[in-house]
Amino acid sequence: MKCVVRAGPPSAHALGLAAAGLSLLVAAAVLPLDSPPLSLFACPFRAATSLPCLACGCTHAFAAVARLRLADALMASPLGALVALACAAHAAWTALRLCGLRYAPKGFAVTAGVRLGAAAVLAGNWLFLVLHGAP
Amino acid sequence: MLARCPSCRSTFETERTGPQECPSCGKPLVVPDAPVPSTTQSSFSSTDEAPEGQGTPWERRADLGLWRGWWETVVQGLFEPGRLFRSARLDRGAAQTGFALVTVSVPWFIGQMLDRFLVRPWTQHLIEKLGGAGPFAPLLQKIAAAGNDNSPRATLLVAMLTPILVLIGLYVNAAVTHVAALVLGQAKRGFAATFAACAYASAPLLLTAVPGCGAPVGFIWTAVLTGVGLKETHRIAPGGAAAAVLAPYALLCCAACVLMVLGGFAMRGVP
Repeated sequence: MKCVVRAGPPSAHALGLAAAGLSLLVAAAVLPLDSPPLSLFACPFRAATSLPCLACGCTHAFAAVARLRLADALMASPLGALVALACAAHAAWTALRLCGLRYAPKGFAVTAGVRLGAAAVLAGNWLFLVLHGAP
Repeated sequence: MLARCPSCRSTFETERTGPQECPSCGKPLVVPDAPVPSTTQSSFSSTDEAPEGQGTPWERRADLGLWRGWWETVVQGLFEPGRLFRSARLDRGAAQTGFALVTVSVPWFIGQMLDRFLVRPWTQHLIEKLGGAGPFAPLLQKIAAAGNDNSPRATLLVAMLTPILVLIGLYVNAAVTHVAALVLGQAKRGFAATFAACAYASAPLLLTAVPGCGAPVGFIWTAVLTGVGLKETHRIAPGGAAAAVLAPYALLCCAACVLMVLGGFAMRGVP
């Protein structure tokens, strides 16, 4: 099964998503985690309930991916690490397409199974954060 | 995709292009690969085009003029959102990004400056009072400390960062909303449709120019408009659109509700 298809230059949305993802990774790489503005992203849900929210650990995961510490990123938040890696991969692929690559990842049908899987991934990530303790 | 039979004029859903039979009258017809704009010589009529078919006023700014195009889009977004979203073209992503950048960045920067130089002493006092005790004390103290810098350097930094933050926020919001719509089975017309809804739904963020209550009112109005936009651009039911918009808030930002409740309790303790 082919994973890529022939495509033209990246669309405006591909460029925008790549720019946004790259900006988040650069910010996570450059800004220190323990001083503003990143330190202001403390989770109020966890402060109030002692339980992590679904997005807890994502800042640490992005910072760890930006510093190429994948194990730390996965421990901070598996979902956040995957999103950060997806941002990096999309930005790199879009840059290659700007340089002349004429292939894009093939889309896939979002079936009921895929939707259930996505919900299970979200739930699994949250359980991991609860049991492991988000940073 | 939706196709229309040239014989019986009935509209039906089909997964493929090319020769096929009308499910209503059984007569043969051809569904072409690309939507054909003219209906006079074609057996295919796409309803993917907006009823107006001309795009929003902002997308027609070359004809209307920049200011008029922007202003009419904002007015439609605030008071006739259904009409605005129905007329949005999904192949105008760059224009929609530009609209959101202009509509949010400038008022947000103005609001930050007004807040920084006019009402900051009052909000600073409130934050320091709230930060005295309670579960959010460390966070509020950090916010209070971070808001003290009124130097020209800080102002320039805010001016430079605001459009970048708006661009990031716009795409992150569209991506999260689209993922929620996908998981809920409501994303019928791709990311471009979700993005158009999110971009034009940013019109109420003009209110961020108003210090204090402007931002909360603007964000709530924007969330409502995003739901209206999803309903029109994806052609889905109102319930599905509302679920797709509210799911990220419910899953990721339920903290906001807890924060408001606890904030209310904390306020009662402020002398």
